[in-house]
Amino acid sequence: MLNRTLLLLTTLAIVSCSRTVTRVSPDTAIDLSGRWNDTDSRKVADQMIYDLFNSSDFKEYAREKNRKPVIIVGNILNRTTEHIDADNFIRKFEVVIHNSKVADLVESSEFRDALRRERAEQQDFADPATVKQFGKELGADLMLFGEMTSEIDDYNNRRVVNYVTTLFLTDIETNRRVWYGQHEIKKLIRN
Amino acid sequence: MSRIASTVLMAGALTLAGACATYYHTQADFNREFERGDLNRALEALQNRDRREQGRNKFLYLVNNGLVLSVMGRYRESNEYFEKAYLFGEDYHKDYINEVASYWTNPLVTVYRGEDHEHLMVLYYKALNFLKMGKYDQALVECRRLNLRLQELSDKYNSPEKYRRDAFVHTLMGIIYQAMNDYNNAFIAYRNALEIYEDDYARLFSLHAPQQLQYDLLNTAWWTGLHEEFEYYRERFGLEDYIPQQPEAELVFFWHNGLSPVKEEWSINFAIHTEQDNQVLFVNETMGLNFAFPLDNDDDRSRLSGLDIYRVAFPRYRERPVFYRGAQLVSGGEQYPLEMAEDLNGIAIHSLRERMVLEFSKGLLRAALKKATEMSVRKEDATLGALIGVVNAITEHADTRNWQTLPHTISYARIPLREGENTVDFVLHEPGGGEYTHHFTYQAERHQTLFHTFSSLESMDSPYKPAWE
Repeated sequence: MLNRTLLLLTTLAIVSCSRTVTRVSPDTAIDLSGRWNDTDSRKVADQMIYDLFNSSDFKEYAREKNRKPVIIVGNILNRTTEHIDADNFIRKFEVVIHNSKVADLVESSEFRDALRRERAEQQDFADPATVKQFGKELGADLMLFGEMTSEIDDYNNRRVVNYVTTLFLTDIETNRRVWYGQHEIKKLIRN
Repeated sequence: MSRIASTVLMAGALTLAGACATYYHTQADFNREFERGDLNRALEALQNRDRREQGRNKFLYLVNNGLVLSVMGRYRESNEYFEKAYLFGEDYHKDYINEVASYWTNPLVTVYRGEDHEHLMVLYYKALNFLKMGKYDQALVECRRLNLRLQELSDKYNSPEKYRRDAFVHTLMGIIYQAMNDYNNAFIAYRNALEIYEDDYARLFSLHAPQQLQYDLLNTAWWTGLHEEFEYYRERFGLEDYIPQQPEAELVFFWHNGLSPVKEEWSINFAIHTEQDNQVLFVNETMGLNFAFPLDNDDDRSRLSGLDIYRVAFPRYRERPVFYRGAQLVSGGEQYPLEMAEDLNGIAIHSLRERMVLEFSKGLLRAALKKATEMSVRKEDATLGALIGVVNAITEHADTRNWQTLPHTISYARIPLREGENTVDFVLHEPGGGEYTHHFTYQAERHQTLFHTFSSLESMDSPYKPAWE
């Protein structure tokens, strides 16, 4: 036994591990801890925007407008127990909307304020021929916002987490809810 | 040959024995100045040990420098050390050669990795330093790192008896998010903190959620627009009349009271019983300790049974009880008690107690390997074997390293400030009923959250006598 322990310890000493790094494609799904991750954000954004643009309600709205509706992405409230990077999640929605060509996207309040400051400064400092005018902003027709919740069932080193993302698309002028969508991701985690 | 080997062994043993005073005593020059509050001399003593930055105690060298510089108000330099300590934790890999060597000598030959709570405290100090420098974005980076560290900690252990979740760190994250007006994340952090105080801290450390946490939870729920949650917690806390109000500015005051426990060494003598099949028993009847060690080789068993007593050294914590009983802030005629939010003394002692079985196993394996080696050599050369026995006895030591400049407990209070100049008194309560007051002035901008830490390094006299006394 002692000799075997000795052999084991010596083997461990020789085969000491070192860190390895491998580059993987960003769309590869890798689940390590079971918590919300980049794959979940991307899947939810892709699927829900697809559902939205394919919905008869949205198509009807666009037909009434007779042009591409203009969307602004608002806040996505996080009611889960995890710190999910909402900004990153919102950007993913914006990318999908922008690439879809089905709707136009306007800047959210965070960047809009910076643009307005820039426009104001142009009035004083830019070449008059290139100064951008006030009052020409594209007004959004619709605001996309929503919330995330999670239900957790935990027992005997096993955990089931059901993440529910709910999105609302609402007409800014009338407050009419044009579209309502929900997407669930359920995970079983064994420790 | 035997004589040369004897000389070399004895010299090595004496060197190792000399190096094996407790960690606290090896740092006597630094500890003396630090505990007296002479931070300049403490820093000088610490930095005279440059070579230690790359040595086995690298982590402790870095965090002690970081902590002393932080208390001195040299936040940027402090964070340089804490960043290195953080990276040390990230890049740490067990050196198995040293691990193996530790079974023939003692665990002090290994690189000190740091306790779980110590790695969290690195990021706590770093975040606070950034907040005090007004670099809120940088503090938020530390907040995200803290979140990852907390997730790693909860993944590491399954037992609810282990320290696997840190309520105070969640509270701190909430405070930082709130200061950045990210009320949604602040609410999540506060809610997680509350759950941990109720489920873990109350049971493990007899520490209950601070009342300030309840107010912060309600405020951030309301400001996020989580009205259902707001109503639920308002009723649960019995604060039905509470209405969130946003003051002109705020001060979050952290009080680091006393000093964390120090590790010391204790030895247990074990007798060997080999009568059972395929195993030997390490027995200490006085303490009621009984460890079975599988050993199916008759030769090994007979070698061990030839020895009567094994002395095995283990670490244990000795508390340094706090001097000040409590504290409060006085501002605008109002009194705000500092509420305890983290019991680092309790966490350290609990963590070591929880892994004591592992410590026993490692210590006994070490003793068994040492003795087996001694017996093998004895068969060839009795003198050399006896000498190895002496060396084994001299080198038997426990790992007494830990981050000893951390506070005993951390308390905090959040108080409203007016825009402009504010005077605040910090009143410390002494054991005899006396008070000691510090006066502070703060310049606050509208909607700004200011941060302040105060460290009381005083401890009550304890049976632990430092080397210089």
